[in-house]
Amino acid sequence: MIEAINISKHFGSGSKKVQVLSDISFRLEKGKTLTIIGKSGSGKSTLLNCLGGLDLPDKGQINCFGIDINCLCEKKRSLFQREKLGFIFQSNNLLSYLTVFENIVFPLVLNGFGKKERKKRVAQLLEMLKLDHLACAMPNELSGGQAQRVAFARAIAHTPQMLLADEPTASLDTQTGLDLIKLMVSVGIEHNITIIVSTHDNEVIKYADRILYLKDGKIIGK
Amino acid sequence: MAYLFWIKIAFLFLVRSKRATLALGLMIFSAVGTLVFISAIAVGINDSMILNSTGLYSGHITGLQLDKTITKQRLFVKGVSNVLQRFQIPGTLYHQERKEIQTLMAVNPDQELKNTFLWKKVIKGNYITDKKQEILISHHTAKQLDVHPGEKVIFKSGSSVFPFIVAGIFETGIDRLDNGIAFCPISILSVPPENWDCAIFINPGADLETIMVSYASTGVDTSLLKTWKELMPDLTQLIDLNRISMGFIMILVLGVVCFGTACAFAIFIISNIREYGILKAMGVTPSETTLLIFSEVILLNIIAAIAGTIAGIIVVFITSKTGIDISNFTSHNQYFVVSGLIIPRSTPASLFLPSLLTLSFCLLAAIWPALIVIRQRSCDILRSI
Repeated sequence: MIEAINISKHFGSGSKKVQVLSDISFRLEKGKTLTIIGKSGSGKSTLLNCLGGLDLPDKGQINCFGIDINCLCEKKRSLFQREKLGFIFQSNNLLSYLTVFENIVFPLVLNGFGKKERKKRVAQLLEMLKLDHLACAMPNELSGGQAQRVAFARAIAHTPQMLLADEPTASLDTQTGLDLIKLMVSVGIEHNITIIVSTHDNEVIKYADRILYLKDGKIIGK
Repeated sequence: MAYLFWIKIAFLFLVRSKRATLALGLMIFSAVGTLVFISAIAVGINDSMILNSTGLYSGHITGLQLDKTITKQRLFVKGVSNVLQRFQIPGTLYHQERKEIQTLMAVNPDQELKNTFLWKKVIKGNYITDKKQEILISHHTAKQLDVHPGEKVIFKSGSSVFPFIVAGIFETGIDRLDNGIAFCPISILSVPPENWDCAIFINPGADLETIMVSYASTGVDTSLLKTWKELMPDLTQLIDLNRISMGFIMILVLGVVCFGTACAFAIFIISNIREYGILKAMGVTPSETTLLIFSEVILLNIIAAIAGTIAGIIVVFITSKTGIDISNFTSHNQYFVVSGLIIPRSTPASLFLPSLLTLSFCLLAAIWPALIVIRQRSCDILRSI
C-alpha cells in the first residue's frame, strides 16, 4: 500500500516562495492505478517526485510498502528506487549513449539479474512492445512513440512494485498515448504493479482505479 | 558493486560521445607526447654533458696513484667497459731557452683514441702515435714555450731526460687539462713509475655506486678511486638542476594542460548531467555515480596517455637516429667541449611520469564535477534540462 500523509512542499523563499503542495493525503492499494489530474503548475510532477523519493517534501510522511522513504539515507533511497520503483518521464529520458537493448537491460543489471535472465526478459519486452527490430538502435534514431515505449520497457523490466509516470503521453499523439496507457494498465494488472500517472489528458481517466484532482498544490477532488 | 559493468558503461559513454571524447583525448595525448619527448631531451642533455665531461679524458671513475697490487685486470668488474692505464711523471719541459713545469701523462695512444675524445681537441698537428718519441702539449704550454708541431722539446724528470717531437697541440677549454699536462706514449718509457693512474669507463646504464661497491668487495682501496660525481660536483649539481627544472616544466605544462582538461571535464560532465540525473532516478547510488565518472576519467586518460606515450617514443626514436645538434649554443660551454649533439633517450621515469601526473591531475579535476552531480537531486537535474 502507498500512503501519503499531509505532504507539503514549497520552492523558493521570502517573497518568491511558492507553495507547490499543501497537505496532500491519500491511500492507494497495491496493484491499483491512480491518475493525478491537474493543469500545468498544479504540483503533479512534484507530488510524483516526492512519492518516488526523487524529491523530499518539507513535511508529511510517505509510506511505500511499509517503508517511510523520507527517513531513508541517500544510498538506501537509491536502492529502494532501483528495486521497487519504475519511472517514466514526459520526455522519455533514455540514456542517449546506450542502445535500446542496453537501456532496457540497465535496471536488470542494477538489480543483479543473471545474464541469461536479462537477455530473456529484454527479448520478451521488445517483442511485447514490437520493438525487437530496434534493439540495436540508439535513442536518437527512435520516433517519440518508440522512445516512450522503450522508456516503459525500461521502467518495468525489473518488475517494480510501483510505476510512476509523469505525463507519459504529453509528447505523443492521442492514439499512441492511449495505446501506451492501455499497455501500462494491462502490464500493471498482469504483474500486480501499483501505477501512478500524472496527466492533464482526460482520456487517461478511463483507465484509472482512482483519481486525484490537483489545483495549486491542493487536492480538489478524489 | 559491479565494477566491470560501470567500466563498460563508462567506455560506451566515451566511445559514443565521439567529438567531446576526441577533443579531451587530444589534449591529454598532446600533453603526454610532448612531455615524453621533452623528458627524453632532458635525459639526452644530461647524457651528453656526462659523455663530454667523462669521455674527454677522465672516464666515469678516475684512479690516482694506484699501487702495483691493484692490477688493471682487477678493475674489470661487472659494468665496466674499459680501463685505461696512465702514468704520471712530474718534470719540466724545455724548448730552447724556455721551460714550463709539466705533468707528463704516459698513455696508450690506441686505447685513448678508442675511448676518449681528447684527439678531437687537437687544434694543430696530430695526436701522439704509439712507440714514437712524440708529445702532445696544450695550447697554453705551446705558447709559453713558443713551440710548434714537428719541433723538438726535452722533458726532464729527476735524472731522466726524454727528447720528444711535438706531435700536436690541444685546447679543451678546461683549465685543469689546458694548464700543465702533456701526453706521451707509455711505450717510450723503459721503466714505468711504480704507481699508476687510470680512467675507468662504464657501460651505458651501469650504476656507478654498484661498481664502487664491487671494488670495495674485491679489496680495492676505493679511497684512491673517484667517481665523476666526486671529481665534478659542478656537473652533478648541473644535472640535478636539470632534473629539477624538468620536474618544474612537467608540473607547469601538466598544470596548465590539466587546468584546461579540468575545465573541459567539468563542461563534459555538466553537459551530460541529464544522463546522470536519469541514472540517479533509476536508483544509481552516489558511490556508483562517482565510480562511473572516475572510470570515464581513468579510461580516457589511459587510452590518451598510451597513445601520447607511443607518439612520444616514436618522435624520440626518430630524433635519436640523427640527434639534435645544439653546437651553436654550446661552443663556449665546458660541458659540451667535444660535441653539442643531443641524443634524446627515454627512461622509465620519462615514459611513465607524464602519464601518471596527467592521470593524477585529471582525477583531481574530476572531483569537482563529480561533486556537482552527486550533490544535486535527480529531480532538480531533470527539471533544469
